[in-house]
Amino acid sequence: MFNILKELIYSSGAVSLTGGNLVMWLVAFVLLYLAIKKKYEPLLLLPIAFGILVVNLPLTFLMEPEHGLIWFFYHYGIEQDIIPPLIFLGLGAMIDFGPLIANPKTLLLGAGAQAGLYVTFFAAILFGFDLQEAGSIAIIGGADGPTTIYLTSKLAPHLLGATAVSAYAYMALVPIIQPPMMKLLTTDHERKIVMTKLRPVSKLQKICFPIVTGMTIMLVVPPAAPLISMLMLGNLFKESGVVERLTNAASNELMNIVTIFLGLSIGATMTASTFLSPKVLFIFFLGLFAFVISTAAGLLMAKFMNLFLKDKINPLIGAAGVSAVPMAARCVHKVGSEANRRNYLLMYAMGPNVAGVIGTVVAAAILLKNLG
Amino acid sequence: METDCPKVLEVFGSGIIGVFLVMILLQLLTQLSTRVIDVVEKWNKDDEAQAEPKK
Amino acid sequence: MPELIAPLAGNVWKVLIAVGDKVEMDDEVIILEALKMETPIYCDDSGTVTELRVKEGDAVEEGAVLVVID
Repeated sequence: MFNILKELIYSSGAVSLTGGNLVMWLVAFVLLYLAIKKKYEPLLLLPIAFGILVVNLPLTFLMEPEHGLIWFFYHYGIEQDIIPPLIFLGLGAMIDFGPLIANPKTLLLGAGAQAGLYVTFFAAILFGFDLQEAGSIAIIGGADGPTTIYLTSKLAPHLLGATAVSAYAYMALVPIIQPPMMKLLTTDHERKIVMTKLRPVSKLQKICFPIVTGMTIMLVVPPAAPLISMLMLGNLFKESGVVERLTNAASNELMNIVTIFLGLSIGATMTASTFLSPKVLFIFFLGLFAFVISTAAGLLMAKFMNLFLKDKINPLIGAAGVSAVPMAARCVHKVGSEANRRNYLLMYAMGPNVAGVIGTVVAAAILLKNLG
Repeated sequence: METDCPKVLEVFGSGIIGVFLVMILLQLLTQLSTRVIDVVEKWNKDDEAQAEPKK
Repeated sequence: MPELIAPLAGNVWKVLIAVGDKVEMDDEVIILEALKMETPIYCDDSGTVTELRVKEGDAVEEGAVLVVID
């Protein structure tokens, strides 16, 4: 009788618990709190937090290679790069490139914000990260979750949890991180600029855009193909107007399904032994730095373009060049309407915002080509 | 760990220039295709306008 | 007769006035919802509302007339 009880205790995970596990539980509970109570990106943070929690229960072997349940999700979904492109398929089916087509200049703003990535890349090298790790950290500044995950899983898989969580966390914090930078770098006068009305965009243009842009990007930077091809396919679904069922499936059911596996797998990479290192703190710090610098780079790019433009653009929309769609555009709209309540920047900011998605993928593909 | 300085600069430079070149290329292509489509749609409209009186 | 134009496309979230109401410059008259964000539309004239062209829940295009004010 006593022996059975003893065996039960020894085979239980409780005796194998480490202090690290307990710290990770705390991390998981904080994330659960942020997701449930504060509603910060709950669709992702909630499964991530739960993933962290279960993977830090000893002897469950959920992440045991070739055996664990979540390991299979992780292996097929993320290591084999299935999930990020599928998320892009859904994203493509949801976003409207109209404001971008109406004002193609905003593509440059999407490029401008990416300059911040490379500044962070430098900074990460200075902090002692190697080239691959620095590339993965820098891409956080693009504020694009799937791209961050895609690049990190190829360059520095051991950092996956940290880069993914900081990308999604900072995306949720856009309304807090961006406005101070926006106000610092623009004058009140600039924020009041009302932009000229966008030209109407015909259906044919919207259909041609994903085809032409997708082909061009894939010809020029082939490593971008998995993400860009799916993004453009999704968008073609939407704009063609003939496959509404596929559009809905891609942007609702499929997207929701893969989001579950994405969040759970990302969370499960965060075991105490990989996550609790000083490096991770640096990643969060550098990720924030990347985000702030990218915002600044976008704003400065817009101001730079204004030197040459006859119809001035409101430099705030440059901040939407980071790709957090549509959080960054909303944020621009809000700051713009605070300066001038009759300034409705939302649609103008959607241009650089979707350009930012393209820009981040291109930047990631170039990093991948140079570092992979 | 040794940092490979030329490589860092290469990644940095080619990255910034690369992203800008691609985005400028896309901008030009978008503007070009918009022009072409405008012309095509104008033709179509003219055709329709001509076709209708015949009915 | 001044017309209040929708500055961006979206859905009409709330209509805060009725026909016959007196409105002042800068009054909040309609709240549009676009990209899950509420955007208040302010009156750019003073006068009496003579016509409401939209109701709550309507989808409006950019440039559509929302309210006519006399």
